[in-house]
Amino acid sequence: MRPPRGGGRGGGFRGRSDGGGFRGRGRGGGGRGGPEGRGGGRGRGGGRFGGRGGGGGRGRGGRGGGMKGGSRVVVEPHRHDGVFIAKGKEDALCTRNLVAGESVYGEKRVAVQNEDGTKIEYRVWNPFRSKLAAAILGGVDNIWIAPGTRVLYLGAASGTTVSHVSDLVGPTGMVYAVEFSHRSGRDLVNMAKKRTNVIPIIEDARHPAKYRMLVGMVDVIFSDVAQPDQARILALNASYFLKNGGHFVISIKANCIDSTVPAEAVFAQEVKKLQAEQFKPSEQVTLEPFERDHACVVGGYRMPKKQKLATAT
Amino acid sequence: MSSLKNAQNRRDHKERAQPHDRRKFGILEKHKDYVVRAKAFHQKEEALKKLREKASFKNPDEFSFKMINTRMIDGVHKPKSEANKYTQEELLVMKTQDIGYVLQKLQSEKKKIDLLSSTLHLLDNQPPNKHVYFVEDREEAREIKSRASQSNKTTFEQMPKRIKRKIAASYKELEERKNRVQELEKLYNDMSLQKELQKPGRKRKLREDEILNPTTRPVYKWRAERKR
Repeated sequence: MRPPRGGGRGGGFRGRSDGGGFRGRGRGGGGRGGPEGRGGGRGRGGGRFGGRGGGGGRGRGGRGGGMKGGSRVVVEPHRHDGVFIAKGKEDALCTRNLVAGESVYGEKRVAVQNEDGTKIEYRVWNPFRSKLAAAILGGVDNIWIAPGTRVLYLGAASGTTVSHVSDLVGPTGMVYAVEFSHRSGRDLVNMAKKRTNVIPIIEDARHPAKYRMLVGMVDVIFSDVAQPDQARILALNASYFLKNGGHFVISIKANCIDSTVPAEAVFAQEVKKLQAEQFKPSEQVTLEPFERDHACVVGGYRMPKKQKLATAT
Repeated sequence: MSSLKNAQNRRDHKERAQPHDRRKFGILEKHKDYVVRAKAFHQKEEALKKLREKASFKNPDEFSFKMINTRMIDGVHKPKSEANKYTQEELLVMKTQDIGYVLQKLQSEKKKIDLLSSTLHLLDNQPPNKHVYFVEDREEAREIKSRASQSNKTTFEQMPKRIKRKIAASYKELEERKNRVQELEKLYNDMSLQKELQKPGRKRKLREDEILNPTTRPVYKWRAERKR
């Protein structure tokens, strides 16, 4: 009695792990035999085992399908040279990363694969942290900072915007970044170690004579110093380094200059000051919704006189 | 010996199934199924027996504190009042201990909003800012005006549908998180007010005509207390 039963049990086990199909075949088909055999198998765990295997297979298939779906981001050039727009999970302004694989201040990176298989990496440019990005999003006509330009950047801080400007001007351009504070200057220097086109200068922008040996003539001065005398600082630096017919971009924080009068009046006052210093402002954008009571003024320096007579004659 | 036995072809073992006319009883029960069922049954039987014994040996006159604490009033069983179960300090802790959790959630939501908004720049919307041009003469102004009217923004016409969907989802998430932060902030303000009110110190609710900046919410004023 015993031995056959033991054998039977063993056989049963084997049969279960094989699944219900074996038993179904043993019964010789018949519409009623099939479903019952399968039901029994499920009840005893054989079916569950099979189900798990199937689930795993489906999971693998799903992941493969996701990869096949195509690129997740589309990047297109912006109106301004060197600036890009990334659309995907994000809807963001970005610049092409000069040092692929590295973030400067924890910003998001977006990689796009070309048709020939090369990868290009872009860094998202956060307008809440950068006045220049906010100005671009505000629709400024010209930033004058483009691939190949030399830029003097006053008030570089930790170098978040400077890194994007360095991306913008590319390996052929140059960024001279001036920052007075040693604490944020440290981050700036660390950032500049990775980027050969950035020259960090830890000096007071009020005394351009101190760093005149480091800086050559530049095409554009960007100033974000947030000081009451920032127009004077800009003029002083421009007189040293900015070429005739060069351009300036200055970010004005109304509170830093005069917190008692409305922001609009402060901006107008600053524009007057700039005009008195041989600057010729061409446009001004406020930086809503990214900053409150900020404006960005763009213009030229010692611009050549217009050819009025030529058109008259 | 056994090898010879194996060499011979034997008939397959076939397990008996439930006959078709008895299929309403489910799968045919085998002995090992019966053993499991019987064991479970006897276990339950044993447990019931023990409980019955316990009940029959119970002393109906046994003392219980409920006999002192509770009483029947007009035929209604009244349990002991729990009015002073907790002290004032304990109550303060119990009523305000969720405030920390709310604050934590509020801060984490704010952080997530920062992260999201750093990559969502509303590129397709017209920014609500002011753009001023400085010009020398009318000609230049006219020129700029005409340029501004036909300004062509970079457009993504052939953007795939799935990316459009992704962007929309991101903006929706940002919006939802912003709403959540608003709600959490309100909740946090309410809770911190309740916490302050429960602390010692003389205060009173201001009447409507006493409130300088009218709000819909209650306003309290604390009696100035001289500190050393």
